[in-house]
Amino acid sequence: MDNILEVRNLTKRFHGLLAIDRVTFALERNQILGLIGPNGAGKTTLVSLVSGTLQPTEGSVLFEGKPIHRLAGFRRALLGIARTFQVMRPFPGLTVLDNVAVGALFGAAGSTRQLAAAREDANRWLHFVGLDHRVRQRADALGGPDRKRLELAKALAMRPKLLLLDEVMAGLNPVEIEEVITVIKKVRDQGISIVVIEHVMKAIQSLSDRLLVLHHGEKIAEGKPQEVLRNDQVIAAYLGSKRR
Amino acid sequence: MKPALKFIFAALVVGGFATVPSWGSAVLVQFGINALILATLAQSWNIIGGYTGYPSFGNSVFYGLGGYGVAIALVQYQLPSAVGLILGVVLAVLFAFLLGLPVLRLRGHYFAIATLGLTEVMTAIVSNLDIAGRNVGLILPLAKGDTLFLELSLALLVVTTLAVAWISRSRFGFGLIAIRENEVAAAVMGVNTTLYKILAFALCAVFSALAGGIHAYWITYLDPGSAFDVSLNVRMIIMAVFGGPGTIFGPALGAFALAAISEILASKITSLASIFFGVVIVVAIIFMPRGVADLAQNFRRFGWRYFQENIKAHRV
Repeated sequence: MDNILEVRNLTKRFHGLLAIDRVTFALERNQILGLIGPNGAGKTTLVSLVSGTLQPTEGSVLFEGKPIHRLAGFRRALLGIARTFQVMRPFPGLTVLDNVAVGALFGAAGSTRQLAAAREDANRWLHFVGLDHRVRQRADALGGPDRKRLELAKALAMRPKLLLLDEVMAGLNPVEIEEVITVIKKVRDQGISIVVIEHVMKAIQSLSDRLLVLHHGEKIAEGKPQEVLRNDQVIAAYLGSKRR
Repeated sequence: MKPALKFIFAALVVGGFATVPSWGSAVLVQFGINALILATLAQSWNIIGGYTGYPSFGNSVFYGLGGYGVAIALVQYQLPSAVGLILGVVLAVLFAFLLGLPVLRLRGHYFAIATLGLTEVMTAIVSNLDIAGRNVGLILPLAKGDTLFLELSLALLVVTTLAVAWISRSRFGFGLIAIRENEVAAAVMGVNTTLYKILAFALCAVFSALAGGIHAYWITYLDPGSAFDVSLNVRMIIMAVFGGPGTIFGPALGAFALAAISEILASKITSLASIFFGVVIVVAIIFMPRGVADLAQNFRRFGWRYFQENIKAHRV
Protein backbone atom coordinates (compact mmCIF):
# COMPACT_ATOMS: atom_id res chain seq x y z
CA MET A 1 0.00 0.00 0.00
CA ASP A 2 1.26 3.46 -0.91
CA ASN A 3 0.78 5.68 2.11
CA ILE A 4 1.50 9.36 1.71
CA LEU A 5 1.02 10.01 5.41
CA GLU A 6 1.55 7.76 8.40
CA VAL A 7 0.93 8.86 11.94
CA ARG A 8 2.19 6.54 14.67
CA ASN A 9 1.41 6.80 18.36
CA LEU A 10 1.22 10.54 18.10
CA THR A 11 0.82 12.29 21.45
CA LYS A 12 0.58 15.95 22.33
CA ARG A 13 0.43 17.20 25.90
CA PHE A 14 -0.19 20.83 26.82
CA HIS A 15 1.09 20.83 30.39
CA GLY A 16 -1.61 18.82 32.18
CA LEU A 17 -3.92 18.45 29.20
CA LEU A 18 -3.56 15.42 26.98
CA ALA A 19 -4.79 16.85 23.66
CA ILE A 20 -3.79 13.94 21.43
CA ASP A 21 -3.38 10.50 22.95
CA ARG A 22 -1.42 7.86 21.00
CA VAL A 23 -3.22 8.33 17.69
CA THR A 24 -2.20 6.06 14.82
CA PHE A 25 -3.52 6.17 11.27
CA ALA A 26 -2.43 6.19 7.66
CA LEU A 27 -3.60 8.01 4.58
CA GLU A 28 -3.29 6.36 1.17
CA ARG A 29 -2.16 8.47 -1.72
CA ASN A 30 -4.98 10.16 -3.61
CA GLN A 31 -7.56 9.48 -0.92
CA ILE A 32 -9.66 11.76 1.24
CA LEU A 33 -9.68 11.15 4.98
CA GLY A 34 -12.43 12.78 7.00
CA LEU A 35 -11.50 13.76 10.52
CA ILE A 36 -14.49 14.17 12.82
CA GLY A 37 -15.24 14.43 16.49
CA PRO A 38 -16.98 16.68 19.01
CA ASN A 39 -15.64 20.11 19.89
CA GLY A 40 -12.35 19.91 21.74
CA ALA A 41 -11.63 16.39 20.51
CA GLY A 42 -8.19 17.42 19.20
CA LYS A 43 -8.86 17.59 15.46
CA THR A 44 -7.13 20.91 14.87
CA THR A 45 -4.26 19.89 17.15
CA LEU A 46 -3.76 16.76 15.07
CA VAL A 47 -3.63 18.81 11.87
CA SER A 48 -1.20 21.26 13.51
CA LEU A 49 1.08 18.37 14.48
CA VAL A 50 1.15 17.14 10.89
CA SER A 51 1.64 20.62 9.38
CA GLY A 52 4.33 21.58 11.87
CA THR A 53 2.49 24.44 13.55
CA LEU A 54 2.89 22.36 16.74
CA GLN A 55 5.58 19.85 17.71
CA PRO A 56 4.49 16.47 19.12
CA THR A 57 5.33 15.33 22.65
CA GLU A 58 5.75 11.74 21.48
CA GLY A 59 5.18 9.59 18.43
CA SER A 60 6.06 10.08 14.82
CA VAL A 61 4.71 11.48 11.58
CA LEU A 62 5.93 10.00 8.29
CA PHE A 63 5.41 11.80 5.01
CA GLU A 64 6.13 9.68 1.94
CA GLY A 65 7.90 7.26 4.25
CA LYS A 66 10.24 9.82 5.80
CA PRO A 67 9.91 11.08 9.39
CA ILE A 68 8.99 14.77 9.47
CA HIS A 69 7.77 15.35 13.03
CA ARG A 70 10.97 17.13 14.04
CA LEU A 71 11.06 19.41 11.00
CA ALA A 72 10.08 23.08 11.23
CA GLY A 73 6.72 24.00 9.71
CA PHE A 74 8.17 25.79 6.70
CA ARG A 75 10.25 22.73 5.75
CA ARG A 76 7.15 20.58 5.72
CA ALA A 77 5.50 23.15 3.45
CA LEU A 78 8.47 22.86 1.08
CA LEU A 79 8.06 19.07 1.11
CA GLY A 80 4.47 19.41 -0.06
CA ILE A 81 2.18 19.75 2.94
CA ALA A 82 -0.32 22.60 2.92
CA ARG A 83 -3.02 23.44 5.42
CA THR A 84 -5.83 25.90 5.90
CA PHE A 85 -6.74 27.41 9.24
CA GLN A 86 -10.12 27.12 10.90
CA VAL A 87 -9.60 30.62 12.30
CA MET A 88 -8.63 32.10 8.96
CA ARG A 89 -5.23 33.68 8.69
CA PRO A 90 -5.10 35.78 5.54
CA PHE A 91 -2.47 38.45 5.04
CA PRO A 92 -4.92 41.28 5.72
CA GLY A 93 -3.01 44.17 4.14
CA LEU A 94 -2.26 42.40 0.87
CA THR A 95 -4.56 42.06 -2.10
CA VAL A 96 -6.36 38.77 -2.58
CA LEU A 97 -4.07 38.11 -5.55
CA ASP A 98 -0.85 38.66 -3.59
CA ASN A 99 -2.14 36.52 -0.72
CA VAL A 100 -2.28 33.60 -3.11
CA ALA A 101 0.95 34.66 -4.87
CA VAL A 102 2.82 34.10 -1.57
CA GLY A 103 1.70 30.48 -1.77
CA ALA A 104 2.97 30.19 -5.33
CA LEU A 105 6.31 31.86 -4.47
CA PHE A 106 6.96 29.58 -1.52
CA GLY A 107 5.08 26.35 -0.99
CA ALA A 108 6.28 22.99 -2.25
CA ALA A 109 9.78 22.74 -3.69
CA GLY A 110 9.95 23.73 -7.33
CA SER A 111 7.40 26.49 -6.93
CA THR A 112 7.81 29.55 -9.09
CA ARG A 113 10.33 32.16 -7.95
CA GLN A 114 9.28 35.06 -10.17
CA LEU A 115 6.63 37.45 -8.92
CA ALA A 116 4.94 37.89 -12.31
CA ALA A 117 4.65 34.14 -12.82
CA ALA A 118 3.44 33.68 -9.24
CA ARG A 119 0.68 36.22 -9.78
CA GLU A 120 -0.39 34.46 -12.97
CA ASP A 121 -0.49 31.21 -11.03
CA ALA A 122 -2.47 32.93 -8.29
CA ASN A 123 -5.00 34.16 -10.83
CA ARG A 124 -5.57 30.61 -12.01
CA TRP A 125 -6.15 29.31 -8.49
CA LEU A 126 -8.49 32.17 -7.66
CA HIS A 127 -10.49 31.27 -10.74
CA PHE A 128 -10.43 27.63 -9.63
CA VAL A 129 -12.05 28.46 -6.27
CA GLY A 130 -14.39 31.06 -7.79
CA LEU A 131 -12.86 34.22 -6.38
CA ASP A 132 -11.75 35.87 -9.62
CA HIS A 133 -14.04 38.87 -9.18
CA ARG A 134 -12.29 39.97 -5.97
CA VAL A 135 -8.68 39.61 -7.07
CA ARG A 136 -7.72 43.26 -6.58
CA GLN A 137 -9.36 43.79 -3.20
CA ARG A 138 -7.54 43.72 0.09
CA ALA A 139 -7.94 40.42 1.89
CA ASP A 140 -9.46 42.06 4.97
CA ALA A 141 -12.31 43.39 2.82
CA LEU A 142 -13.55 39.84 2.19
CA GLY A 143 -16.48 38.35 4.03
CA GLY A 144 -16.46 34.94 5.77
CA PRO A 145 -17.28 32.62 2.84
CA ASP A 146 -14.83 34.37 0.52
CA ARG A 147 -12.13 34.18 3.18
CA LYS A 148 -12.66 30.42 3.28
CA ARG A 149 -12.18 30.31 -0.48
CA LEU A 150 -9.06 32.45 -0.14
CA GLU A 151 -7.60 30.06 2.44
CA LEU A 152 -8.19 27.22 0.01
CA ALA A 153 -6.63 29.10 -2.93
CA LYS A 154 -3.55 30.00 -0.84
CA ALA A 155 -3.05 26.37 0.11
CA LEU A 156 -3.59 25.13 -3.44
CA ALA A 157 -1.13 27.65 -4.90
CA MET A 158 1.56 25.91 -2.83
CA ARG A 159 1.18 22.87 -5.11
CA PRO A 160 0.92 20.48 -2.18
CA LYS A 161 0.91 16.69 -2.30
CA LEU A 162 -1.02 16.58 0.96
CA LEU A 163 -3.71 19.11 1.78
CA LEU A 164 -5.06 19.54 5.30
CA LEU A 165 -8.40 21.35 5.35
CA ASP A 166 -9.55 22.61 8.74
CA GLU A 167 -13.27 23.36 8.52
CA VAL A 168 -13.34 25.06 5.15
CA MET A 169 -17.11 24.67 5.01
CA ALA A 170 -18.08 26.06 8.40
CA GLY A 171 -20.38 29.04 8.03
CA LEU A 172 -21.17 28.40 4.37
CA ASN A 173 -24.73 27.96 3.07
CA PRO A 174 -25.78 24.71 1.36
CA VAL A 175 -25.14 26.05 -2.14
CA GLU A 176 -21.66 27.24 -1.18
CA ILE A 177 -20.95 23.90 0.49
CA GLU A 178 -21.86 22.11 -2.74
CA GLU A 179 -19.41 24.36 -4.60
CA VAL A 180 -16.60 23.67 -2.15
CA ILE A 181 -17.24 19.92 -2.32
CA THR A 182 -16.92 20.08 -6.10
CA VAL A 183 -13.67 21.99 -5.76
CA ILE A 184 -12.23 19.52 -3.24
CA LYS A 185 -13.14 16.59 -5.49
CA LYS A 186 -11.45 18.35 -8.40
CA VAL A 187 -8.37 18.84 -6.24
CA ARG A 188 -8.28 15.13 -5.40
CA ASP A 189 -8.59 14.30 -9.08
CA GLN A 190 -5.35 16.22 -9.63
CA GLY A 191 -3.60 13.65 -7.47
CA ILE A 192 -3.58 15.46 -4.14
CA SER A 193 -4.27 13.53 -0.95
CA ILE A 194 -6.54 15.30 1.51
CA VAL A 195 -7.42 15.33 5.19
CA VAL A 196 -10.70 17.14 5.88
CA ILE A 197 -11.95 18.30 9.26
CA GLU A 198 -15.63 19.02 9.03
CA HIS A 199 -18.79 19.26 11.10
CA VAL A 200 -21.18 19.16 8.16
CA MET A 201 -21.98 15.43 8.24
CA LYS A 202 -23.56 15.22 4.82
CA ALA A 203 -20.55 16.89 3.24
CA ILE A 204 -18.01 14.71 4.96
CA GLN A 205 -19.94 11.54 4.16
CA SER A 206 -20.03 12.28 0.46
CA LEU A 207 -16.40 13.41 0.34
CA SER A 208 -14.44 10.97 2.46
CA ASP A 209 -13.05 7.62 1.42
CA ARG A 210 -12.43 6.88 5.08
CA LEU A 211 -13.39 8.47 8.37
CA LEU A 212 -11.43 8.83 11.57
CA VAL A 213 -13.22 9.79 14.78
CA LEU A 214 -11.45 11.54 17.62
CA HIS A 215 -12.84 11.90 21.13
CA HIS A 216 -10.90 13.43 24.02
CA GLY A 217 -7.75 13.11 21.96
CA GLU A 218 -8.15 9.39 21.34
CA LYS A 219 -9.05 7.61 18.14
CA ILE A 220 -12.36 5.86 18.84
CA ALA A 221 -13.18 4.66 15.35
CA GLU A 222 -11.79 4.42 11.84
CA GLY A 223 -13.10 2.99 8.61
CA LYS A 224 -15.61 3.45 5.81
CA PRO A 225 -18.01 6.35 6.46
CA GLN A 226 -21.21 4.27 6.70
CA GLU A 227 -19.66 1.80 9.13
CA VAL A 228 -18.10 4.46 11.32
CA LEU A 229 -21.28 6.48 11.61
CA ARG A 230 -23.18 3.38 12.80
CA ASN A 231 -20.57 2.73 15.48
CA ASP A 232 -22.10 2.88 18.98
CA GLN A 233 -19.09 4.64 20.48
CA VAL A 234 -19.24 7.34 17.82
CA ILE A 235 -22.96 7.89 18.34
CA ALA A 236 -22.36 8.08 22.09
CA ALA A 237 -19.59 10.63 21.65
CA TYR A 238 -21.80 12.84 19.54
CA LEU A 239 -25.23 12.38 21.09
CA GLY A 240 -24.48 10.99 24.53
CA SER A 241 -24.97 7.32 25.42
CA LYS A 242 -28.39 5.66 25.37
CA ARG A 243 -30.19 5.18 28.61
CA ARG A 244 -30.37 1.60 29.58
CA MET B 1 1.34 58.22 -9.67
CA LYS B 2 2.41 55.52 -12.08
CA PRO B 3 5.61 53.66 -11.12
CA ALA B 4 7.50 55.02 -14.15
CA LEU B 5 6.55 58.58 -13.20
CA LYS B 6 7.70 57.95 -9.65
CA PHE B 7 11.10 56.83 -10.83
CA ILE B 8 11.47 59.86 -13.11
CA PHE B 9 10.55 62.08 -10.17
CA ALA B 10 13.08 60.26 -7.95
CA ALA B 11 15.77 60.69 -10.62
CA LEU B 12 15.03 64.44 -10.71
CA VAL B 13 15.35 64.66 -6.91
CA VAL B 14 18.67 62.81 -7.05
CA GLY B 15 19.89 65.12 -9.81
CA GLY B 16 18.78 68.12 -7.77
CA PHE B 17 20.73 66.98 -4.73
CA ALA B 18 23.83 66.29 -6.82
CA THR B 19 23.93 69.86 -8.11
CA VAL B 20 23.40 71.56 -4.71
CA PRO B 21 27.12 72.23 -4.10
CA SER B 22 27.36 74.19 -7.37
CA TRP B 23 24.64 76.71 -6.46
CA GLY B 24 23.69 76.27 -2.79
CA SER B 25 25.31 77.81 0.29
CA ALA B 26 27.52 75.81 2.64
CA VAL B 27 24.62 75.64 5.10
CA LEU B 28 22.35 74.17 2.46
CA VAL B 29 24.95 71.54 1.55
CA GLN B 30 25.30 70.57 5.20
CA PHE B 31 21.53 70.39 5.55
CA GLY B 32 21.51 68.20 2.44
CA ILE B 33 24.05 65.77 3.89
CA ASN B 34 22.10 65.50 7.13
CA ALA B 35 18.81 64.99 5.33
CA LEU B 36 20.30 62.33 3.05
CA ILE B 37 21.77 60.42 5.97
CA LEU B 38 18.48 60.59 7.86
CA ALA B 39 16.66 59.44 4.74
CA THR B 40 19.03 56.48 4.41
CA LEU B 41 18.41 55.58 8.05
CA ALA B 42 14.63 55.87 7.65
CA GLN B 43 14.86 53.78 4.49
CA SER B 44 16.87 51.02 6.17
CA TRP B 45 14.49 51.04 9.15
CA ASN B 46 11.80 50.55 6.51
CA ILE B 47 13.25 47.11 5.70
CA ILE B 48 12.85 45.71 9.21
CA GLY B 49 10.07 47.98 10.48
CA GLY B 50 8.05 48.72 7.35
CA TYR B 51 8.34 45.51 5.35
CA THR B 52 8.98 42.88 8.03
CA GLY B 53 6.82 44.55 10.69
CA TYR B 54 9.41 44.48 13.47
CA PRO B 55 9.61 47.96 15.06
CA SER B 56 13.33 48.04 15.78
CA PHE B 57 14.81 50.47 18.28
CA GLY B 58 18.21 48.88 17.75
CA ASN B 59 19.05 50.49 14.43
CA SER B 60 21.01 53.22 16.14
CA VAL B 61 23.33 50.42 17.33
CA PHE B 62 24.11 49.63 13.68
CA TYR B 63 24.58 53.33 13.02
CA GLY B 64 26.94 53.67 15.99
CA LEU B 65 28.92 50.56 15.07
CA GLY B 66 29.35 51.94 11.56
CA GLY B 67 30.68 55.18 13.01
CA TYR B 68 33.04 53.39 15.37
CA GLY B 69 34.28 51.17 12.55
CA VAL B 70 35.46 54.23 10.65
CA ALA B 71 36.74 56.01 13.76
CA ILE B 72 38.77 53.06 15.05
CA ALA B 73 40.22 52.27 11.63
CA LEU B 74 41.28 55.88 11.05
CA VAL B 75 42.41 56.86 14.55
CA GLN B 76 43.83 53.67 16.02
CA TYR B 77 45.22 51.96 12.93
CA GLN B 78 45.64 54.76 10.36
CA LEU B 79 43.77 52.68 7.78
CA PRO B 80 41.96 54.18 4.78
CA SER B 81 38.36 55.27 5.40
CA ALA B 82 36.99 52.66 2.98
CA VAL B 83 38.45 49.93 5.21
CA GLY B 84 36.78 51.65 8.15
CA LEU B 85 33.40 51.59 6.42
CA ILE B 86 33.81 47.88 5.72
CA LEU B 87 34.85 47.26 9.33
CA GLY B 88 31.75 49.10 10.52
CA VAL B 89 29.51 47.05 8.23
CA VAL B 90 31.10 43.80 9.39
CA LEU B 91 30.61 44.74 13.05
CA ALA B 92 26.99 45.74 12.46
CA VAL B 93 26.16 42.59 10.48
CA LEU B 94 27.78 40.39 13.13
CA PHE B 95 25.74 42.19 15.74
CA ALA B 96 22.57 41.70 13.67
CA PHE B 97 23.18 37.95 13.41
CA LEU B 98 24.25 37.36 17.00
CA LEU B 99 21.54 39.43 18.66
CA GLY B 100 18.93 39.06 15.97
CA LEU B 101 18.71 35.36 16.71
CA PRO B 102 17.36 35.79 20.26
CA VAL B 103 15.72 39.22 19.88
CA LEU B 104 13.77 38.45 16.69
CA ARG B 105 11.93 35.68 18.55
CA LEU B 106 10.04 38.46 20.31
CA ARG B 107 7.23 40.34 18.63
CA GLY B 108 5.60 43.76 18.74
CA HIS B 109 6.18 45.75 21.91
CA TYR B 110 8.44 43.10 23.39
CA PHE B 111 10.74 43.29 20.40
CA ALA B 112 10.76 47.10 20.57
CA ILE B 113 11.70 47.14 24.27
CA ALA B 114 14.40 44.48 23.85
CA THR B 115 16.05 46.38 21.01
CA LEU B 116 15.79 49.58 23.04
CA GLY B 117 17.81 47.79 25.71
CA LEU B 118 20.49 46.87 23.15
CA THR B 119 21.18 50.55 22.52
CA GLU B 120 21.75 51.24 26.21
CA VAL B 121 23.95 48.18 26.58
CA MET B 122 26.11 49.23 23.64
CA THR B 123 26.57 52.72 25.09
CA ALA B 124 27.75 51.18 28.35
CA ILE B 125 30.10 48.71 26.66
CA VAL B 126 31.70 51.19 24.28
CA SER B 127 32.16 53.75 27.09
CA ASN B 128 34.52 51.26 28.69
CA LEU B 129 36.57 50.25 25.65
CA ASP B 130 40.01 51.79 25.32
CA ILE B 131 40.09 51.15 21.59
CA ALA B 132 36.93 53.24 21.19
CA GLY B 133 38.25 56.10 23.31
CA ARG B 134 36.07 55.22 26.33
CA ASN B 135 33.43 57.81 27.18
CA VAL B 136 35.56 60.67 25.85
CA GLY B 137 35.19 59.48 22.28
CA LEU B 138 37.45 59.70 19.26
CA ILE B 139 38.50 62.67 17.14
CA LEU B 140 38.90 61.73 13.50
CA PRO B 141 41.31 63.33 11.04
CA LEU B 142 39.74 66.13 9.04
CA ALA B 143 38.50 65.01 5.62
CA LYS B 144 38.05 66.74 2.29
CA GLY B 145 35.14 69.10 1.63
CA ASP B 146 31.40 68.70 2.04
CA THR B 147 30.77 68.00 -1.65
CA LEU B 148 32.33 64.56 -1.33
CA PHE B 149 30.09 63.74 1.64
CA LEU B 150 27.01 64.96 -0.17
CA GLU B 151 27.85 62.67 -3.08
CA LEU B 152 28.63 59.74 -0.78
CA SER B 153 25.42 60.05 1.21
CA LEU B 154 23.39 60.58 -1.96
CA ALA B 155 24.88 57.45 -3.52
CA LEU B 156 24.13 55.51 -0.33
CA LEU B 157 20.50 56.65 -0.30
CA VAL B 158 20.12 55.65 -3.95
CA VAL B 159 21.56 52.19 -3.29
CA THR B 160 19.39 51.73 -0.20
CA THR B 161 16.27 52.78 -2.10
CA LEU B 162 17.14 50.42 -4.96
CA ALA B 163 17.50 47.63 -2.42
CA VAL B 164 14.05 48.45 -1.03
CA ALA B 165 12.62 48.60 -4.55
CA TRP B 166 14.04 45.14 -5.19
CA ILE B 167 12.61 43.88 -1.91
CA SER B 168 9.14 45.11 -2.80
CA ARG B 169 9.09 42.99 -5.96
CA SER B 170 11.10 39.92 -5.01
CA ARG B 171 10.36 36.55 -3.49
CA PHE B 172 12.47 37.56 -0.48
CA GLY B 173 10.42 40.74 -0.02
CA PHE B 174 7.14 38.85 -0.27
CA GLY B 175 8.43 36.56 2.45
CA LEU B 176 9.10 39.58 4.65
CA ILE B 177 5.67 41.06 3.94
CA ALA B 178 4.05 37.71 4.71
CA ILE B 179 5.88 37.67 8.05
CA ARG B 180 4.59 41.17 8.79
CA GLU B 181 1.03 40.29 7.88
CA ASN B 182 0.87 36.97 9.72
CA GLU B 183 3.96 35.13 10.84
CA VAL B 184 2.30 31.78 11.62
CA ALA B 185 0.61 31.69 8.23
CA ALA B 186 3.87 32.68 6.54
CA ALA B 187 5.71 29.74 8.13
CA VAL B 188 2.97 27.31 7.14
CA MET B 189 3.25 28.52 3.55
CA GLY B 190 6.97 27.73 3.45
CA VAL B 191 8.67 30.96 4.50
CA ASN B 192 11.80 30.32 6.59
CA THR B 193 10.76 33.01 9.03
CA THR B 194 13.83 32.94 11.30
CA LEU B 195 16.26 33.20 8.39
CA TYR B 196 14.24 35.88 6.61
CA LYS B 197 13.94 38.05 9.70
CA ILE B 198 17.66 37.86 10.39
CA LEU B 199 18.54 38.62 6.77
CA ALA B 200 16.26 41.66 6.88
CA PHE B 201 17.86 42.77 10.16
CA ALA B 202 21.35 42.29 8.66
CA LEU B 203 20.40 44.14 5.49
CA CYS B 204 19.26 47.18 7.44
CA ALA B 205 22.45 46.84 9.52
CA VAL B 206 24.53 47.20 6.36
CA PHE B 207 22.91 50.46 5.25
CA SER B 208 22.63 51.97 8.74
CA ALA B 209 26.30 51.21 9.42
CA LEU B 210 27.37 52.84 6.16
CA ALA B 211 25.31 55.92 7.06
CA GLY B 212 26.90 56.01 10.51
CA GLY B 213 30.37 55.64 9.04
CA ILE B 214 29.90 58.44 6.55
CA HIS B 215 28.42 60.68 9.23
CA ALA B 216 31.27 60.07 11.70
CA TYR B 217 33.86 60.69 8.99
CA TRP B 218 32.07 63.90 8.08
CA ILE B 219 31.69 65.49 11.54
CA THR B 220 35.12 64.07 12.59
CA TYR B 221 34.03 63.35 16.14
CA LEU B 222 32.35 60.41 17.82
CA ASP B 223 31.37 59.62 21.40
CA PRO B 224 29.15 56.84 22.79
CA GLY B 225 26.25 59.18 23.56
CA SER B 226 25.91 60.52 20.03
CA ALA B 227 26.80 57.23 18.30
CA PHE B 228 24.17 55.12 20.06
CA ASP B 229 21.53 57.82 20.31
CA VAL B 230 18.03 56.44 20.92
CA SER B 231 16.42 59.70 19.83
CA LEU B 232 18.02 59.22 16.42
CA ASN B 233 16.28 55.85 16.23
CA VAL B 234 13.01 57.51 17.19
CA ARG B 235 13.54 60.01 14.39
CA MET B 236 14.11 57.19 11.88
CA ILE B 237 10.81 55.65 12.89
CA ILE B 238 8.90 58.95 12.83
CA MET B 239 10.29 59.76 9.38
CA ALA B 240 9.57 56.32 7.95
CA VAL B 241 6.07 56.26 9.40
CA PHE B 242 5.38 59.86 8.34
CA GLY B 243 6.40 59.02 4.80
CA GLY B 244 4.70 55.64 4.63
CA PRO B 245 6.25 52.44 6.00
CA GLY B 246 6.41 49.51 3.62
CA THR B 247 6.59 51.73 0.52
CA ILE B 248 9.58 52.36 -1.74
CA PHE B 249 9.82 56.16 -1.64
CA GLY B 250 7.76 57.04 1.44
CA PRO B 251 10.50 56.89 4.09
CA ALA B 252 12.93 59.02 2.07
CA LEU B 253 10.14 61.49 1.33
CA GLY B 254 9.17 61.62 5.00
CA ALA B 255 12.78 62.19 6.00
CA PHE B 256 13.21 65.10 3.60
CA ALA B 257 9.91 66.68 4.63
CA LEU B 258 10.51 66.40 8.36
CA ALA B 259 14.17 67.41 8.14
CA ALA B 260 13.10 70.53 6.24
CA ILE B 261 10.26 71.31 8.65
CA SER B 262 12.45 70.96 11.74
CA GLU B 263 15.23 73.00 10.11
CA ILE B 264 12.86 75.85 9.24
CA LEU B 265 11.27 75.78 12.68
CA ALA B 266 14.65 75.75 14.37
CA SER B 267 15.90 78.75 12.41
CA LYS B 268 12.73 80.86 12.84
CA ILE B 269 11.59 80.17 16.37
CA THR B 270 14.48 78.44 18.05
CA SER B 271 13.13 77.76 21.53
CA LEU B 272 9.68 76.54 20.55
CA ALA B 273 10.86 74.54 17.53
CA SER B 274 10.55 71.11 19.11
CA ILE B 275 7.05 71.87 20.38
CA PHE B 276 5.91 72.80 16.88
CA PHE B 277 7.67 69.77 15.49
CA GLY B 278 5.63 67.70 17.92
CA VAL B 279 2.44 69.39 16.72
CA VAL B 280 3.32 68.54 13.11
CA ILE B 281 3.78 64.88 14.02
CA VAL B 282 0.51 64.70 15.97
CA VAL B 283 -1.45 66.36 13.17
CA ALA B 284 0.14 64.02 10.63
CA ILE B 285 -0.75 60.96 12.66
CA ILE B 286 -4.36 62.06 13.08
CA PHE B 287 -4.94 63.03 9.45
CA MET B 288 -2.69 60.66 7.53
CA PRO B 289 -1.75 57.73 9.75
CA ARG B 290 -0.54 55.69 6.79
CA GLY B 291 1.93 58.31 5.67
CA VAL B 292 2.60 60.63 2.78
CA ALA B 293 2.83 57.78 0.28
CA ASP B 294 -0.72 56.66 1.09
CA LEU B 295 -1.93 60.27 1.01
CA ALA B 296 -0.44 60.76 -2.46
CA GLN B 297 -2.12 57.58 -3.65
CA ASN B 298 -5.59 58.13 -2.26
CA PHE B 299 -6.08 61.89 -1.99
CA ARG B 300 -7.02 62.24 -5.63
CA ARG B 301 -9.56 59.48 -5.38
CA PHE B 302 -11.21 60.60 -2.15
CA GLY B 303 -10.35 64.32 -1.99
CA TRP B 304 -10.83 65.92 1.42
CA ARG B 305 -12.92 62.93 2.51
CA TYR B 306 -9.59 61.08 2.79
CA PHE B 307 -8.83 62.93 6.04
CA GLN B 308 -12.34 62.41 7.41
CA GLU B 309 -12.14 58.69 6.72
CA ASN B 310 -8.78 58.45 8.46
CA ILE B 311 -10.08 60.18 11.57
CA LYS B 312 -13.09 57.87 11.63
CA ALA B 313 -11.10 54.70 10.98
CA HIS B 314 -8.38 55.31 13.54
CA ARG B 315 -10.34 57.02 16.30
CA VAL B 316 -9.32 55.65 19.66
